[in-house]
Amino acid sequence: MQISVMPKTNLTMSTRTNYSIQQTPHFQILSDNQKERIYNGMLRTLQYTGANVHHEGARELFKKAGCKVDGIKVFFPSEVITNALATVPPVTEVFPWNGDESKKITIEKDRSYFGPGPTPPNFIDPDTLERRPYIRKDASTVARVCDALPNMGYVQSLGSISDVSNGLADVYEFADMVRNTTTPIMSWSFTRNGCRDIHRMAIAMAGGEEEFRHRPNYIFYGEPISPLVSDFHAIDKCMYCAENRIPQVYSPCAIGGGTVPATHAGQLVVALSESMVGVIASQLISPGTSVIIGGVQSILDMRNSIYSYGAPELSLLSAAHTEVVHYCGLPMYSQSGCTDTKKMDIQSAMEAALSINAAMMSGANFVHDNGYTESGMTGDIFQAVMADELIGMARIIEAGIEVNEETLAVDVIKNVGSGGHYLYEDHTMKWFRKHWQPTLMDRNSYESWQEKGQKTMKDRIIEKTRNLIDNYEGPNNEVPENADQEIEKILQEAEVRIKNDPES
Amino acid sequence: MNIDFERISELITKGQIEQLQEQTNQAIETGTEPAILLNKGLLPGMDKVGQLWRNGDMFMPEVLRSAKAMSKAMDILRPHLSKDDMGSAGKMVLGTVAGDLHDIGKDLAGMMFEGAGYEVLNIGIDQPNEAFVNAAIEHKPDVLGMSALLTTTMPRMGEVINSLKESGIRDEMAVIIGGAPVTKEFADEIGADLYAPNAGSAVELTKQYFAQNNS
Ligand code: B1M
Repeated sequence: MQISVMPKTNLTMSTRTNYSIQQTPHFQILSDNQKERIYNGMLRTLQYTGANVHHEGARELFKKAGCKVDGIKVFFPSEVITNALATVPPVTEVFPWNGDESKKITIEKDRSYFGPGPTPPNFIDPDTLERRPYIRKDASTVARVCDALPNMGYVQSLGSISDVSNGLADVYEFADMVRNTTTPIMSWSFTRNGCRDIHRMAIAMAGGEEEFRHRPNYIFYGEPISPLVSDFHAIDKCMYCAENRIPQVYSPCAIGGGTVPATHAGQLVVALSESMVGVIASQLISPGTSVIIGGVQSILDMRNSIYSYGAPELSLLSAAHTEVVHYCGLPMYSQSGCTDTKKMDIQSAMEAALSINAAMMSGANFVHDNGYTESGMTGDIFQAVMADELIGMARIIEAGIEVNEETLAVDVIKNVGSGGHYLYEDHTMKWFRKHWQPTLMDRNSYESWQEKGQKTMKDRIIEKTRNLIDNYEGPNNEVPENADQEIEKILQEAEVRIKNDPES
Repeated sequence: MNIDFERISELITKGQIEQLQEQTNQAIETGTEPAILLNKGLLPGMDKVGQLWRNGDMFMPEVLRSAKAMSKAMDILRPHLSKDDMGSAGKMVLGTVAGDLHDIGKDLAGMMFEGAGYEVLNIGIDQPNEAFVNAAIEHKPDVLGMSALLTTTMPRMGEVINSLKESGIRDEMAVIIGGAPVTKEFADEIGADLYAPNAGSAVELTKQYFAQNNS
C-alpha cells in the first residue's frame, strides 16, 4: 500500500535564514570582536602549537604549501589557512539521484538542513521498543522513514550495522540506504577503501563519473581527533573526497573539559583548529571542493563521565561555533534533537525541543543527530520522527513575520471594524494555510481526544512511525536495474577485499 | 616527630599535590613507618574522596586531582613498601585496543587506578594485541586493563586474552575491560575477569575482586 506523505517543500526543507531584509529572527551569541578573537585563537594555535598529522602524504602536501613540518607535527602559517578559506566554494549543490528538485540540497550560508546522525552501536527496535544492536535492515528502515519525513533534509543511518562482515558496516549501510531514499545521504567509512566503494555506488546511482561531478548526490562525513590530531584514516578519507570532488564534512567530537578546554571559547579554538586541517588539505588537493566543518560540541558530564548530548552547553557551543564557522566563510555542521535519556520520555522531548530550536535560530546549515539517544549510544527512529515535528515548528519561528501592506491588512481591519470576525474574509482564506499544522501535537478537544482513544504523545509517535515503516514504500522500485546490479557487485568485491585483508 | 595523618588525608581530598609530596617526604625522613603513613594518611584520604564522589559532593576533575596527589605520594612511598604493605594496589598495564583511537575513557580509568595506589603503565591507543602481551610479559602487572569504544574493535580484547593464555601468563593477572559498547556479558564471553561500566567502579570492582580471590 502506498501512503501519502507530506512533500518536502522549500519551506519544510530549507528556508533562507537571516534574509537580508531581516525577515527571519536569528540569535547571536558572539560579538564580531569575540568571533575575531576565536578565529585568531585558531590561527595562533595552528601556527604555534601545530597539529599532529599521521599521514606522510598529507604532511608532504602541507610542507609544499609552506607549512613547517617537525616529525608528525605540522605548523600552519596563517596565509596557508586564509588561502584555503578563500577557495572554499560559497555554493555547492547536492542532487537527489532521481532528479527530484524538491529534495536538492544547496550548501550555502543561508540554508539549513536537519537530519539524523551516524553510527551508534544500538537501535531501538521498532516492534519491541527495546534497545538492541543495530542490524542491516535498520539502515533501510531509517532511510525510508526519513525519505517520508518532510523536515529531514538529508539522511544518516542512526546506527552501525552489526550483522555484516566486520569492517563493512559502512559499505552495506550506503548500499541499502541509497536504494531506499532519494534524500541525499551523508555517509561515513572506516578507510579510503570504504570511501571508494561508497563512491562507486554513488556514481552508479548518478549514472556515471562525469554525471557525479556535475551532480554530486551525497556528502561524506569524517572526523579528526581532539585535541589537534588528524589520524591516518581521517585525513586519508578527507583527501580521497577532495580528489573526487565529494562534498565533505571534516569535524571533531570535542569533549569540553576532556579533550578540549572546559571554557567554551577554548573549546571552539581547538575544534576550529582541528577542522581547519581538513579544510586546508581539501583545498590544496582540489581548490573549490566543498567542505563543511563544525561537529559535535558538548561537555563531559563531570559527575557521570558521559559525553552529554542533552546539555544546554551543546546548544550554546554549537550556536557560537556556527557564528565562528560562518565568520570563516564556511558552512556549519551542527547538532540537535539528541538526548541523554535511554527511553522515549519527557526528557528526550525536552532536550530535543530546546536544541532543535537553538540550532534553527543559530542559522546552522546541517544539523545532525536528530534521533540520537543515550548520549549517542543508541539510534532511535521514534526520536527522529518526533524531531521532525519539532523541526517543523522551529522553522515556523525561524521564518519570521512578513511585514508589508498586504500582511499589515489595514484595509481588511477597516472592513471588519470593531466586533465581528475574520473568518469570511478573502484575506483569511488566502493566509490561514500558512499557519503550521501539527502531525503529532494534540489539539483535540477533551471529548474528541477521548473518542480517538486518549492517545498520549508517545502513542502517537509510535503509531506514526510504525505506519511509515509498514506502509511507506520509498523509492526502492525506482532504482535503475543496472545501478542495483552494480551495487550488488561492489558489495561482493568489498567482501573479497575484507576477507583478504580485514584491516583494509 | 608527630605526623598529622589527618592533615595528610586532607591534602589528598583537596588535591594539593606539592604540599602532599613535601609532607610525605618529611614523614619518611623523620622515620614514619611507610605502611602506617599509607594506611593512616593516604588511604583514608582516598576513602573520603570515594565517599564524597558517591554522594555527589565531588566532581570528576576534583577526584582525578586527588588521585594524582595520591599517585605522586605513592611514587615516594613505593620504594619503601613491601608487597604486603601495598595490599592489592600493584601494577597495571592499560591501553586501548588495535584499530581504536578513543582515549579519554581509558585515561580516566588509568587515573582512578593511580589514585588507588597503582603504578599504571598506560601504553596508549590503537595498541596491537602483541603490545599488550609484551607489556604483560615485561612488566608482570597485577591488572591488565583494556578499553574499546567500537563494536568493531571489541573482539581484539578476546584475542589478547587468548594470547595471554598461549603465553602461559593469563592467570598471573586480573583482566579488566571497559568502554561504552562493552558489556558484562561480553566480558564473560571472552573470559575477562572484570567489566567496569565506568572509571570509578573499575577500581572498586578490582579491589573487591582481589579481596575475594586472595582470601
Ligand atoms: C580498563 O578498564 C576500563 C574501565 C572502564 C572504562 C575503560 C577501561 N574504558 C572506558 N571505560 C568506562 O569509563 C569511562 C568513564 O567512566 C567511560 O569511557 P568512555 O570512553 O565511554 O567515556 C568518555 C569519558 C566520554 N566519551 C567519549 O570519549 C566517547 C564519545 C564519542 C562521541 C566518540 C568520540 C568522542 C570520538 N570518536 Co567515536 N565516539 C563515540 C562516542 C559516543 C559515546 N557516547 O560514547 C563512538 C564510540 N564512536 C563511534 C564511531 C563510529 C567512530 N568514532 C570515531 C572517532 C572518534 C573521535 C576521534 C572523533 C572521538 C574520540 C576522541 C578522543 N580523543 O578519544 C571513528 C573511529 C576512529 C577509531 N578508529 O577509533 C568513528 C568510526 C567515526 C568515523 N566516522 O570515523 C561510535 C561507535 C559505533 C560502534 N558501532 O561501535 C560512537 C558510539 C559514536 C556514535 N554514536 O556513532 C566508560 O566507558
